[in-house]
Amino acid sequence: MENSQQVPVTVLTGFLGAGKTTLLNRILTEQHGRKYAVIVNEFGEQGIDNDLVVDADEEVFEMNNGCICCTVRGDLIRILSGLMKRADKLDAIIVETTGLADPAPVAQTFFVDEDVADRTKLDAIVTVADAVHLSSQLEDHHEAEEQIAFADVLLLNKVDLVDDSALTRVKERIRKINPFAKIIQTTRCDAPLDEVVGLNAFSLERVLEVEPDFLESDHDHEHDDDVTSVSFVSDTPLDMDKFQTWFGDLLRTKGQDILRSKGILDFQGEEERYVFQGVHMLMDASPMGSWAEGKKRSSRIVFIGRNLDSMNLEEGFENCKIG
Amino acid sequence: MIADLDQLEGSNQTELEKNGEHFEFNAPVTEAVSIGNTVVVGFGDGKIRFFKPDQKPHDIQAHSGVILCMVKAEDYILTGGDDGRFLQISMDGEIEEIANFGSRWVDSVAAYKGDRVCSSDKVVYIWSKENEKKSFTHQSTISGVTFSPNGKHLAVSRYGGVTVWRREKNKWSSSNYSWKGSHGKVTFSPNGKYLVTSMQENQLHGWRLNDKADLAMSGYPAKIKSFNWVGDTPYLVTSGASEAVCWPFDGKEGPMGRKPVCVASGGKQYATFVESLTEENAVFVGFKDGLVLLSEIDEKKNPITIRNSTGSEVSAIVVSETRAHILIGDIKGNVTWSSIRPQQN
Repeated sequence: MENSQQVPVTVLTGFLGAGKTTLLNRILTEQHGRKYAVIVNEFGEQGIDNDLVVDADEEVFEMNNGCICCTVRGDLIRILSGLMKRADKLDAIIVETTGLADPAPVAQTFFVDEDVADRTKLDAIVTVADAVHLSSQLEDHHEAEEQIAFADVLLLNKVDLVDDSALTRVKERIRKINPFAKIIQTTRCDAPLDEVVGLNAFSLERVLEVEPDFLESDHDHEHDDDVTSVSFVSDTPLDMDKFQTWFGDLLRTKGQDILRSKGILDFQGEEERYVFQGVHMLMDASPMGSWAEGKKRSSRIVFIGRNLDSMNLEEGFENCKIG
Repeated sequence: MIADLDQLEGSNQTELEKNGEHFEFNAPVTEAVSIGNTVVVGFGDGKIRFFKPDQKPHDIQAHSGVILCMVKAEDYILTGGDDGRFLQISMDGEIEEIANFGSRWVDSVAAYKGDRVCSSDKVVYIWSKENEKKSFTHQSTISGVTFSPNGKHLAVSRYGGVTVWRREKNKWSSSNYSWKGSHGKVTFSPNGKYLVTSMQENQLHGWRLNDKADLAMSGYPAKIKSFNWVGDTPYLVTSGASEAVCWPFDGKEGPMGRKPVCVASGGKQYATFVESLTEENAVFVGFKDGLVLLSEIDEKKNPITIRNSTGSEVSAIVVSETRAHILIGDIKGNVTWSSIRPQQN
C-alpha cells in the first residue's frame, strides 16, 4: 500500500571518482525549495552543499531471522528513525554509499525494519558509473558488479571521454549484468533530475512498466562468479501452488546468489496480475490490478545474480506451467 | 425518549480527558522525564518544555534539531541531539553545553550523581563531578548507555552485546556480555543483578550480571520500543505486543522458564510506550492509535481507560515524581497534562 507520509529515499552508489558528488550537488542545488537530508559516509568526497548532512558509518549486521544472507544497515535504521522525529517534513533522503559498498544491505533494510518501512520508502538505487574505467573496475572488484546489478537507474558518466566502440562495449557489459536498469549517458552527470529522484522504482506498480532488454545470453567467456541475468516469458498460465513451492525453495536455498528478481505473473484462475520483486531472500509481492483488455496475458520473470546456470531456472519455471 | 448524543459522548470521556489540559506543539514528543513536581519534555524541533502544576508550560530552544535522548541527573537534565550537542539544562532553563560533536549525533545519555555520560558513534564519554573527561571506544556504534542503580557499573549496548564498565578505585575495567545481533536500549534491574536489552529482532535479551547466564525473552510481534521496571517483584514491563508483557524478575532464576503476565490489551494494535506506577504495582500503557490504559500487573483485573484513541502513536508517558500529575505525548506533538490525584468533592 502506498502511504503519502513515507519519505522517499534515493540510494546513490558508484565507485570513487565516478561523479557521485557532482550528481549529489546538482540534486541539492537545482531542486529549489525542497528539503533534503543527505546521509554520507565517512570516506566520502567532501564539498556537499547542504545544511542537513549526517555522517554514517555503513555498519552492516546480520539479522537473526533465518535468512542466511539477510544483512541490514544498522546505522540507517538509527539515522532514519532519528530523521523521522524532526518537526519539519523532508521531501527526500539521499543515502550516499562508499565506492566499495554492497547495495544489498541498504535495500534489505527497507524490507526488514518495520519502523523504517512505516515512515520511509526506498525510491530507487542510482548507480553512477565511469564509462572510462567501468570495465577494469568490473574485473577487479565484485562490488562494482553488484552496484550495476542492483541499479534501477545507471548514469553512465564521462561518455565524452570514450569512443563509440568502447561505449558500445561497456553498455553491452552493463546490459548483460542488468537488463532492466535505465541507462542514462552523461558527461558531467547532466541527467534530467526527474529521471534520477522521485522515481518510485521500488513500488510494485513500477515493475509493470519496466520492459527488460531480453538479450540472448552468451555465457561462454564468463567466470563462474560473474553477475549475469536471465529472463523467461510464458504465454501459458502458471499454477500458483507450483510456483510458490518452487520460488520459495529457490529463494531459501539460492537467495544468496540471486541479487534481484522481478516478475509479473499470470496465475490460472486469478483475475489480477501478480507482481513481485525481491532482493536476495526477501520479497515483496501482491496482486496488482487486472490485465489490460484485449491484450495477451503472459508471465515474465527476471533474475540477476551469480551461478544462475546451476539453478535450473528455466526448467523450474517451465514446471510451474499448468497442464 | 431520544438519547442526547452530546451527553453520550460526554459520558464516554475519561477523567483525564475532562480535567486535563491539551496542547498541540507540532513537533514529535521524543523524550520526557520528571524532577519533583515538574515534567520536562523534549521535542523533535529541539525545544524543551517544562510542565509545572498550575502554571502554563514554558519552553526553551535547547537543540537546533531533534532531541534524541534525555535523562534526569540530580536536579537537572542531560540531553543529546542530532545537532551533535550534549547539554546540561537546569530547571530554570539554563543551558550549559558539555560537548559538541558536530555532524555526529549524540544518541544516548546517562547520569549517576555527578557523573555525566553520553555516546556519539562508537565512543562513550564520561565527565566526572570534577569535570575530568574519559572516553571509551567500542567496536560498533552505541545504542544505549545506563548506570546500574548503585552507580558501580556502566552498561553500553552495541552490536553483538553489551560492554559493562566497572568502576574501580582509579580506573574503569570492562567485561563483555555477548549475544549475536543488534542491541538497542539497555537497562539494569532495580537490584542490579540483571541486565536487559531490546533487540532489532522483536525480542529482549538479558544476562545475569554475576555469571553472564543468558535470558531470551521472545515472541513479540513488533520491536520493543519501551520498557520499565514496576513493583517489588519486580516486573519488567514491555511494549511491542497487543498487551503490556510483564516479565517477573524475582527468585534466583528471574523469568527463566516462566511465562510473562500480560495485561492491558489494546485490541489488534501494539503497545508503544509503558510507564510504571510502582507503589500500585500498576502500569500505564500507551498504544499506536493514542489509547492509554492503566492496569495492575494482574491478569484477573480489568484495565481502566485513561485516554481514548486519538489516532496518533503514544511516544511518552510520565508520572511526576510527586505522583500528582501525568503527561502523555505523541509523535504528532500533542501533549495531555493532568492531575492524577482523586478529585475532592
